[in-house]
Amino acid sequence: MFFRVIDKARLPDLVKGLATEYEVIAPIAKGEQFVYAAVTDPADMRLDYDTTLLPPKRFFFPSEETLMRFRVADNEVLDDEVYAAPRVLFGLHPCDINALLLMDNVFSGKYEDPYYLRRREQTLLIGISCTPSETCFCNVWDTNEVHWGFDVFLTDLGDRYFASCRTVKGAEILDRFVENRQVTDQDTTDFQSVVHGFKNSFKRVADTTQLPVLLDAKFDSPIWDEFGDRCLSCGACSMVCPTCYCFDVEDRLEPDQKSGVRVRTWDSCQFKEFAAVAHGQNFRESRASRVKYRYYHKQWGYLSKFERVLCVGCGRCARACPAGITPENVIAALQTGEVR
Amino acid sequence: MTAIQESAQRDIEANPYRPWPARITSITDLTDKEKLFELRLIDEDVREAFQFESGQFVELSIFGVGEAPVSISSAPSKQGFIELCIREAGDVTGAMHRKKCGDVVGLRGPYGRGFPFTEMKGHDVLLVAGGLGIAPLKSLINHIHDDRHEFGKVTILYGAKSPAEVLFRYQFDMWQHRDDFDLILTVDQPDETWTGETGLVTRLFDKIDVDPANTYGAICGPPVMYKYVIEEMRKKDMDVDRIYVSFERRMKCGVGKCGHCGVGHQYTCVDGPVFNYWEAMNLQGAI
Repeated sequence: MFFRVIDKARLPDLVKGLATEYEVIAPIAKGEQFVYAAVTDPADMRLDYDTTLLPPKRFFFPSEETLMRFRVADNEVLDDEVYAAPRVLFGLHPCDINALLLMDNVFSGKYEDPYYLRRREQTLLIGISCTPSETCFCNVWDTNEVHWGFDVFLTDLGDRYFASCRTVKGAEILDRFVENRQVTDQDTTDFQSVVHGFKNSFKRVADTTQLPVLLDAKFDSPIWDEFGDRCLSCGACSMVCPTCYCFDVEDRLEPDQKSGVRVRTWDSCQFKEFAAVAHGQNFRESRASRVKYRYYHKQWGYLSKFERVLCVGCGRCARACPAGITPENVIAALQTGEVR
Repeated sequence: MTAIQESAQRDIEANPYRPWPARITSITDLTDKEKLFELRLIDEDVREAFQFESGQFVELSIFGVGEAPVSISSAPSKQGFIELCIREAGDVTGAMHRKKCGDVVGLRGPYGRGFPFTEMKGHDVLLVAGGLGIAPLKSLINHIHDDRHEFGKVTILYGAKSPAEVLFRYQFDMWQHRDDFDLILTVDQPDETWTGETGLVTRLFDKIDVDPANTYGAICGPPVMYKYVIEEMRKKDMDVDRIYVSFERRMKCGVGKCGHCGVGHQYTCVDGPVFNYWEAMNLQGAI
């Protein structure tokens, strides 16, 4: 990788420069919490944020998007172009970049999803180092570090940033928009001390030993009934999850009934009808089966295909769940047989 | 693949969610609830690129209504046309039932993993269908029929609720006299005209001989049926990895993205819908 150092006071120059060519999305305050939103003034950015309410997935996979416009009479597609404007996501934490890498696996492969991938191509990612919050457990999955998938990653060294440039584009925007200098040995030493401090600052630990085996071996365990009894099937966990990608598709007709749009929207395996087929059979009718499926898929289904678990430990689901179901207490219950 | 097929393939791959217009070329009423549709993709290159295997499915797309996964009933050896046996069960299948010959609908696919046709060659085949489960198996049966000399003994056990619900009866009637297909039909609720067997399809296992070292099984039917039919096949000492099952799940996108058809740790749409029993045993909640 290619490294540079940026004086902290100069960072707004980078944002201003980028804003001349890109839509810049960055974390801003919303009440007591934070959200990703378009910014024009660097002063609005809150790079000290803990986590955002919604993950950045919506900039690639919106909660609702038109796949195509169609004509009913001859069942023709009128337009299935993907409209993606150049954009920069500024200030992503390692967990959220890692989450995008996991989403990439799903939306690429044998069948490439042009909607997601076009936006991905059109978007620069600038990551930033963070401080673990109360609900963070990325350390459990080793997603507290990120080594690719971004253009530039900024590690906060106090008065300056240690900038890792992963892509040509990343190196180019630094050189064009912000004063920067070569890395010295002192910078590297400070970088090491910061990342070690970061690694040692996590409070959460979870025993993930042999989780895929436990998920199978304890498939009929009563712990799932207990979680099922608590779950409200609200789907909040999926909506705030940076790696949940399930979707629904529906057709909406124009008032004249002659044309319309095919739209995809976020969906959740926690919703009752998710696995129901046309003539009445519902393969996951009980809430217990749905809660279980979500964990089963994240910790084993996805792993069986891509050799990673489908969780980055961002803690958003733990914050969002009104019933207090968290990955930590599900994992603990699988290990101990007791639901906390 | 020809250059034209490759270029069509690129068009198809550019957007896997884009359905391609297909004309309904024939509609046959099978029962009160099921019709057999024959379809022809309108674009010649897309049509040429559409090569499938028995057991695969398509997404049937009716703009303004939606999409539904439907298994292909015709054999891959029949080129240029595909047949879909459709039960009126939901919005899309209901809209399809109101279509007339000559109308245009959309198709995407073919999707999923079908039956291991090539692997089955040189062996006996035991096919067991219940109800609408005959739809994907008919593709396999027709395909075997077209290459009949490459297979050993072929046995078909098919159960339906009542004589009126037996699908493809004309085809089976046509085959009843053939000695290279052992075909046994059974119904739960016979009427006075019924001359075949009565009772569940599992009861027919007493009437057949199976050479376990040399037989492939293929099963498709309502979810409740699998366990019992597999039990019968296991009693005949058939190998777990030579018993194939085809699952119905909510394959909404067909391309392994939308998540609706998850079964155990797999997706029915891309990892199935055909699994062997060993794989199915490893899919929690599948059977």
